[in-house]
Amino acid sequence: MTTTEAPATPPDVRHRIATTGARHTLGRVLVTLARSIAIFVPVFLVATFVTFALRSLSGLSPARIQLGEEATPEAVARVEAQWGLNRPFLVQYVDWLGGVLHGQLGTSWTNGADISTLIGLGLGVSLSVAFFALIIGVVAGFALGTIAALRRTTWIDRAITGFVTVISVMPAFVVGIVLVAVFAVGLHVFPSAGYVPAAQGVGPWLAHITLPAVALSFDVIADVARQLRTSLIAAYRENYVTGAIVRGLSPRRIFFGHVLRNGLGPALATLGLKFPTLVGASVVTEWIFGLQGFGRFANDSAQAGDVPAVQGVLVVSIVLVVVFNLIVNLVLARVTPASQRGV
Amino acid sequence: MVRRVLSLTSGRIALVILTVIALLAVLGPFIAPDNPLATSPDTLADASGAHWLGTDYLGRDVLSRLLDGSRVSVLGSLEVALTALGVGAIPGILSVYFGRVFEWVTLRLTDTLVALPFLLFAVAVVALLGNGITQAMLVTGVLVSPLFYRVARAATLAVARSPYVEAALISGASIGWVVRRHVWVKVLPPIAVALAQTIGVGFVIVSTLTFLGIGVQPPAPTWGGLLASDLGYLTQKPWAPLVPALLIMVTVWACNLLADAIRDVSGEAGRALVNNRKARANRLAGTDSDADLAHVHAGGA
Repeated sequence: MTTTEAPATPPDVRHRIATTGARHTLGRVLVTLARSIAIFVPVFLVATFVTFALRSLSGLSPARIQLGEEATPEAVARVEAQWGLNRPFLVQYVDWLGGVLHGQLGTSWTNGADISTLIGLGLGVSLSVAFFALIIGVVAGFALGTIAALRRTTWIDRAITGFVTVISVMPAFVVGIVLVAVFAVGLHVFPSAGYVPAAQGVGPWLAHITLPAVALSFDVIADVARQLRTSLIAAYRENYVTGAIVRGLSPRRIFFGHVLRNGLGPALATLGLKFPTLVGASVVTEWIFGLQGFGRFANDSAQAGDVPAVQGVLVVSIVLVVVFNLIVNLVLARVTPASQRGV
Repeated sequence: MVRRVLSLTSGRIALVILTVIALLAVLGPFIAPDNPLATSPDTLADASGAHWLGTDYLGRDVLSRLLDGSRVSVLGSLEVALTALGVGAIPGILSVYFGRVFEWVTLRLTDTLVALPFLLFAVAVVALLGNGITQAMLVTGVLVSPLFYRVARAATLAVARSPYVEAALISGASIGWVVRRHVWVKVLPPIAVALAQTIGVGFVIVSTLTFLGIGVQPPAPTWGGLLASDLGYLTQKPWAPLVPALLIMVTVWACNLLADAIRDVSGEAGRALVNNRKARANRLAGTDSDADLAHVHAGGA
């Protein structure tokens, strides 16, 4: 009934409808934001608690690092008191968490440097690589998944599915080694190690982060492509697509207006789950490609027994994951019609 | 269920590969031709009759190191999968029955575990809590357990809302009895799928950690360690990483294949598969010449 009346509606009424729609959208975004934060605050608290508990569980102490193995118990106690480790556990946790919330991650046990600064130095490297990997993964995965879904059950679909299966079983470090062997050692196309900040030129910067980003992206490509193919094919079977065909809409409009918007959800949700893996895998790629990122920093400090530094890296990674998931949730709420209805 | 998995070609391939890998893990150290730790003067040698896969930078036989290292990878990945199964699946099933508080707490805990970058966490925990592959795998198992929690919880929820379970409860069946009699049968196939996947993930994690040199003492051979030592000598031996890398990839692929095969033969998909085969068998039987073959097919299904 509304469709027949719609052309007769005066412009100002339509405008009013549009503003209410905008207000609705804003409200929905806020509701999603509130709901996501309600989930993520407990997550953050539990995760930081586990992270902090690592020190007590590990039984490591700054005294061992500063004084060596043959320190007298009095000297150990003195150093631990200096670091405030003789206070009750919960007091230490609240104190530390307060610092974390203000961006203060404490000082390193090994060299007394400010951990926030140290992580900040490496974060630029890691984030460049991670986001470049994410972009490659999304673009390639999106293209492969869409083509496979549009040409389903043809040889193109089978070839893509086979390719995706192969790259999905390649661990990041295997891909990394192969890339180094082929493109850096064999063909001399890319540098095999090192990092140049973007401030010194975008070309060298891209050249240095391309190989690590490609190594990281394989996993994302495989997951996005597979997920997208499945959900797009499922969306094509829905009744509203049949309805759209019956109404005579063009294939392009059906794809972008109906199939893609409804099929995008699972692929986006996968992306949210994939991000922790990307952050974690940076430990490996940074080791292979000789990048001084924060994964490398985590590995080095963990091997040295520098507990506050490790805790700092973990907190930063948790924050990154939580923020990224928040963004994914918001995009998800905006894009897919089903999540707008609250289904 | 095993017989149904075996009736699929992919299932057969997966089981054969995994059996070979398992045999390598059990027998590897005994069938290794050389001492995996013995060094020799001919370093970085190519493949030859004496050293089938060549030697590494200290002149150690690569094949022997590969065979000897397979045990660590297999045991490690099994440990990851079984820990994840225990930590994830049991609370997942119980969360449906144990009331809202338990449900809320376990859901928040799984949210937290998903948010932790598990490789970073595994590196941190292993390095801080003592260098041992066992601790590493237990921690990783806990970190990947949300998969089992979700799978088990989703399957249990589906069963718990079904009329026949309600009928059983109304007629006075205890929760324990319902879980054993009805829930298990429905929950087991998805858990088996998750288990096969997790073993594959476990392989990747074990080889990644050993690649970084975490969890094992240096001279001991591991698949990941082999790759790490090859990385420094790519200019001299560009093909050296090929065999260990292929071995890891084939194993992971076989695990995924097995997971897909189990998924295909169980639940709704499995019923559709069996029906399809029956229909095809009947059609073939109708065309008389292939009748015998069709019976074989139907029997196999």
